[in-house]
Amino acid sequence: MVACSRSAAKSSVSVTDKEVGPNPARVGPMTVSFHLTEASKPVSGAEVSLEGDMTHAGMTPVFAEAHEVAPGQYRGNLTLNMPGDWVLLLHVTLPDGRKLEDQIDIRGVGSS
Amino acid sequence: MSQARTIPEPEVLESSPRFDLLRVPVVGRFLRWRHARTVLQIPFLVVGAVMILHGLLGPSLAPKNLATVLTWLHFRGVLALTLFAAGNFFCLACPFMLVRNAARKLFRPRWNWPRALRNKWLSAGLFVLILFIYELDDLWASPWLTAWLIIAYFGAILIVDGLFKHASFCKFVCPLGQFNFAASTLSPLEVAVRDQQICTTCDTKDCIRGRRKPGSELVILERGCELALFQPRKVGNMDCTFCLDCVHACPHDNVSIVTRIPASELITDPMRSGIGFFSRRKDVTALVIVFTFGALLNAFGMVSPVYVLERWLAQLLHVTHEAPVLAAIFGFFLIVEPIVLLGVAAWITQKLKGTRRALIPSMVRYSYSIVPLGFGMWLAHYGFHFLTGLFTIIPVSESAASSLGLWFGHPHWLWVGVPMRFVQPVQLGFLILGFLGSLLVARRMADEDCPEHPMRVFGPWAAVSLMIWLAAVWLIFQPMEMRATTLMSS
Repeated sequence: MVACSRSAAKSSVSVTDKEVGPNPARVGPMTVSFHLTEASKPVSGAEVSLEGDMTHAGMTPVFAEAHEVAPGQYRGNLTLNMPGDWVLLLHVTLPDGRKLEDQIDIRGVGSS
Repeated sequence: MSQARTIPEPEVLESSPRFDLLRVPVVGRFLRWRHARTVLQIPFLVVGAVMILHGLLGPSLAPKNLATVLTWLHFRGVLALTLFAAGNFFCLACPFMLVRNAARKLFRPRWNWPRALRNKWLSAGLFVLILFIYELDDLWASPWLTAWLIIAYFGAILIVDGLFKHASFCKFVCPLGQFNFAASTLSPLEVAVRDQQICTTCDTKDCIRGRRKPGSELVILERGCELALFQPRKVGNMDCTFCLDCVHACPHDNVSIVTRIPASELITDPMRSGIGFFSRRKDVTALVIVFTFGALLNAFGMVSPVYVLERWLAQLLHVTHEAPVLAAIFGFFLIVEPIVLLGVAAWITQKLKGTRRALIPSMVRYSYSIVPLGFGMWLAHYGFHFLTGLFTIIPVSESAASSLGLWFGHPHWLWVGVPMRFVQPVQLGFLILGFLGSLLVARRMADEDCPEHPMRVFGPWAAVSLMIWLAAVWLIFQPMEMRATTLMSS
């Protein structure tokens, strides 16, 4: 895993097992996967949108959706369009309407 | 006969009747109004306060924060373009001075700025320091640090101008001001007298002394120039903040904002009020070297090859921290490279001229010829970020308003700016303009310096300009890679 991360919201729901591929990250398609859990139980049925921003202002962000591929496990594909430092934001809307944000820092995305 | 009648006219390039901004109906009337500066400063102060608050309390992600978006995209871009298209109007609207003037109503400065520091060494050093911290701490990626930079600026001006009289901060400390001074040597507008003859018959010299209350010499009604620029002997824009104090103080309405030939002040070397001779000011030379080579270095920090160089240096120096690596890069590009490049050019010039003058005066004199190239690089760099991120202020403002409950829609995050493929030709255009400007300045200097064989003198400096230009073009065609240090991950 190439990323480090920090939770952006206080919630009993946790975002765990965050993985980003390829490793090391490069310009082009990227897969993001993670688990949503609450009290050690998988959280199903969440809506997750992914947002990729460069750490420098003024660059075009990229957006995608993540889908549940197994109970509590979500996966999405993004296309990074520029080398450099990126931040992935996970915007999660839980089935009961609660919202959660999480962040994955991806340093040094290389040229394709 | 009064002593005023002996004032010699400054040596400037002659030009035809000049456009006079203060004669333009609405704009001129506004700028002549004594509260015009305050009116321009207030919006900047409000925006500055919003940037500080959002930087400290808003999102930590730079593209979503007003502090970073406004500072590193819009402010820098508009600043450079305004200097290029008009003049030093950002110093005119400087919000820091508004705070300073308010503070000076509470406490009066007591001291004069120390004589040993009445030069550009300190401010050029601070200019380098800001460029260094920008790279080391990735200021562009940190709203929090950007906000603190703005706060530090307010603090510094309050301390310096709270202790020292006149505009000590502007003239001797402010690194941003020095950038503006250097760049405004290429601006098409300058503050100048309309008619030198009127100045020769003026006995009061209010433009520098300030307009005094009749019968009470100690009471100043209108401030004179705080940067010690005496209008009849002022040449060009160096050290001029466009504050328009001289315009308001002149009892003959003889000072205005007029057009001139950009870079003309770099070619001639007259005695300049408040500055002296450019050719004897090594500190000003250091400033223009930092301005020009710093432009290349600042852009170099954002392209792929810098990371390869950093890793190589880290291995060579056996260090894992970025500071010593950056210090080595800064030392090479801002000290070693300019000295070698300009020194060799000066040496060849002397050889071809067949004179045995010392090298340093020649280096100092001709170093001003590279200023247009430096400004071209700043324009290309800042213009790039400004244009490619032009519309980002909209979604960031929407997001900020949304967090305050003032906006209920979704921010338009995909509103970014002009596509890169359209911006790169603009960048190249700025670099070509800078290159041509440097060649013209060097050629005119050579014509004056060695009328018998101007090409012999021009050749080495044209070669210097060509090398800098090629480096600049190479830089803008490098793949951009905006990231922080890679030493940890290496």
